[in-house]
Amino acid sequence: MISVEPMLLVQNIVNGVFMGLIYSLVALGLALIFGVMDIINFAHGDFVMIGAYLTFLLATTLLVDPTLTAFITMPLFFVIGVAVYKGIIERVLGAEPLIQIAVTVGLLMVLRNLALMIFKAEPRGVPFTVFGFPINVGPITIAASRLVAGIVSLVALFLVHMLLTRTKWGIAMRATADDREVAELMGINVKKVYAVTFGLGISLTALAAALIMTFSRADPYLGLLYGLLSWVIVAMGGLGGVIGVLASGLIIGVIEAIGISVVSAGARELFIYLTFFLILWFRPRGLFGRR
Amino acid sequence: MALLELKNVNAGYGEFRVLFDVSAKVERGQIVAIVGPNGAGKTTTLRTIMGMTTLYSGDIVFNGRSITRMPTHKRVELGLSMVPEGRRVFRTLTVYENLVAGAITKRAWEKLEDTLEMVYNIFPKLKERRNQIAGTLSGGEAQMLAIARALMSRPDVLLLDEPSLGLAPKIVIQIFDVVKKLRDEAEKTILLVEQHVKHSLEIADYAYVLEQGRIVLEGEAQKLMKDERLKKAYLIF
Repeated sequence: MISVEPMLLVQNIVNGVFMGLIYSLVALGLALIFGVMDIINFAHGDFVMIGAYLTFLLATTLLVDPTLTAFITMPLFFVIGVAVYKGIIERVLGAEPLIQIAVTVGLLMVLRNLALMIFKAEPRGVPFTVFGFPINVGPITIAASRLVAGIVSLVALFLVHMLLTRTKWGIAMRATADDREVAELMGINVKKVYAVTFGLGISLTALAAALIMTFSRADPYLGLLYGLLSWVIVAMGGLGGVIGVLASGLIIGVIEAIGISVVSAGARELFIYLTFFLILWFRPRGLFGRR
Repeated sequence: MALLELKNVNAGYGEFRVLFDVSAKVERGQIVAIVGPNGAGKTTTLRTIMGMTTLYSGDIVFNGRSITRMPTHKRVELGLSMVPEGRRVFRTLTVYENLVAGAITKRAWEKLEDTLEMVYNIFPKLKERRNQIAGTLSGGEAQMLAIARALMSRPDVLLLDEPSLGLAPKIVIQIFDVVKKLRDEAEKTILLVEQHVKHSLEIADYAYVLEQGRIVLEGEAQKLMKDERLKKAYLIF
């Protein structure tokens, strides 16, 4: 029998909740782009990776806390997102899915090899952050950086939810997701909506990257981890909007923590994908699937 | 001068030509009907006016201005609006959000509250159901919402594509009633595409008969109702 120290399990689960919130934030950008544009962006995770390296460069050059770099990287990534949309994605709208996949996989390769070229295969971490202390709640210890990252992620998820439900732009985005052609008939400039959606989705990866860099390091294969996790979360959330992404992200975070506690750190992915298969086995359209 | 005019329009989808040399006029304050059999190009005519087809040659003039090269959303901004065939409400949005989505253009956004009140006056049912998800509405209610949504852009010309399609006879009469009211009370100009030829001609001022992408007959609606060829072709009277 595997025996687990109960307090350690509780502590890992609490950590898992915070990680889950960050996973949700990463997946949110992917969910937005997929939901509104019907584009599968395989390069999503690699934008997190590029964001992480950029956070490292900015934080160590300007000597500021990694979290603060988000004020620069988010607008920058929004612009990059719009540029990538205009330069690459807009040209393959309505093309066969295979062509769209090839294009975003190509983008992934460019980003990953760019990182390998500049930073070799070396991980880089920011050696300082104001959140580098532990917080003790009874017998449980939480890293302040993860707590802050989790809370900021939750706030960002809430703000995007408000954007989608309470603003003109949000309603235009959801109308476009629902029926692109009719959205056009209503006078919605669909290409502008697409550009903004892509920009927003990419800029959210910059925020996630800045938060991740308070407790983790940048390395060229970070994109693989976050890309796959995001896909699992979006597939599980099943187009259930921000709530669906949040719920799936939390499930993944907690399952991962349990996997680490009960078996070993190496088993985390086994647990994640087992859960993923089980959920899709019983609910093929995801937890909140509609279509 | 006509509010909306099609001049020798040849249009279709890519290589597939649907409309041949179509010319038509819509005068301000009128209901103009386009009738004809399935596949005649009625929907394509409306889609061409909205800029959603390939226009090979010809001109579309709205309010004295050629709109031929404008993207769809600019045409809506200028005052054209279309209710698509099959209603196509935004199913995942609430009734209220559907109406807001209809008012997204600059010209409509500032007057959102006023327009909303006007639309709720015409369709009180929609006010009751404003927080309901549009995908759960009945066919008749969804059609009301589709028309209301198109009105939210404060159009000068409303294009209606088969508004009675798939609805119960009682609801069909209600819909035609609403269309008539939109002209008589809300002073809208309407271009109506319909398969219910008799109902359409009863409320229309002028009508065009479209067959195989060509206009084969046109005239005042009252006169067309007495036309022997039309009677025979549609076995309607």
